[in-house]
Amino acid sequence: MVTTEAVDEAGAPPSAARYLACWIALVLLTGLTFALSTVDLGGWSLALALAIAVAKGSVVALFFMHLWDHVGAVRLVLVTAVLFVVVLSSLVVADVLTRFPLALPPR
Amino acid sequence: MAGDARLAHHFSSLSVQAHAARLGMWLFLGTEVLLFGGLFVGYAMYRTVYRAAFVACSHHLDRALGTVDTLVLITSSFTMALGLHLARGGRARQATAALGATLALGLAFLAVHGHEYAGDIAAGALPGRLYRAGVELPGAGIFYTLYYFMTGLHSLHVVFGLVLLGWLTRRTARGDFGAGWDTPLELGGLYWHLIDLVWIFLYPLLYLI
Repeated sequence: MVTTEAVDEAGAPPSAARYLACWIALVLLTGLTFALSTVDLGGWSLALALAIAVAKGSVVALFFMHLWDHVGAVRLVLVTAVLFVVVLSSLVVADVLTRFPLALPPR
Repeated sequence: MAGDARLAHHFSSLSVQAHAARLGMWLFLGTEVLLFGGLFVGYAMYRTVYRAAFVACSHHLDRALGTVDTLVLITSSFTMALGLHLARGGRARQATAALGATLALGLAFLAVHGHEYAGDIAAGALPGRLYRAGVELPGAGIFYTLYYFMTGLHSLHVVFGLVLLGWLTRRTARGDFGAGWDTPLELGGLYWHLIDLVWIFLYPLLYLI
C-alpha cells in the first residue's frame, strides 16, 4: 500500500518568534492606517487603507493560518474565494459608475 | 497506528486524515468568505452610489474604539497561534494560558463593540428608515443597515468562535493535544483567524473612509 506521508509539511515547525514578529507588524500596520485616516488624502484614502488591509490579511493568512508552510490545495481555496469576491465587486462597481445618471437612485 | 481510536478506518494514517480535515476546514472557510463577500459587494455598490453619505456616516463612528477592536482581535489571533504552537511543543499549561487569553480578548472585543452599539443606538444612528442621527443625505440609513449587518454577523461569528474556544481550552488543559495530534485545535484556530481576517477588512471600510 502506498503511504502518503509526503503530503505533510516539510521542515521545522515555525518558531514563536515568527508569531511575535507578525503580531508586531500587524500592530504597526494598524497604527499606520489609523494615522493615515486622520490625514486628508482625497480619493487615495480608501485605496491606501485597503492596501494596508490586504497586507495585514496576508500576514494573518500566511503565518497565523500557516498557508506559508502548507502545500497544494489548501492554498488555492482562500485565493479562489477572495478572487471571486473581487471579480463580483469590481463588476458591480463598474456597472454603477457607467450608468446613465437617471438610472441611479437620487443622491 | 493500528487500533488508534482517533483514526477513521478509511484513512491510511493520522497525517493523511489531518490533511483531509484541514482541506475540509479551508473549504468551509471559503464559503465563509463568500458569505461575507455578498455583504462586501453590497457595501461596494452602495458606497459608490451614496459616497458622500457613507463618508459622513463613517465620521460619526468612533474611530478610536474601532482601532481598539482591531488591536484586541489582532492580539487574540496572536495568542491563538501561540496556543497551538505551545500545545504542539507539549507545553499544555502554557498553551491553556494562551487560549485563556484568547478567550478573554474575544470577550473584550464583544464588550467594546456592545458599548459602541449602545452609543450608536442612543444617538439615533439606526438602520434604514429608523435612522435619526443627523446626516441629511440619502443613503445614511443604508450605511447603518450595512454597518449593523456586517458587524452583527461578524460578532455572531465571534460568539461561535468563543464557544469553540471554550471547548478547545478545556481539552487543551486536559492534555488532549500534543506532539503528533492537534487537529481540532488547529482547525478551531483557523476559524478564529478567519474572524480576525474579516475584521481587518471591516475596520477600514466602516471606520476609516
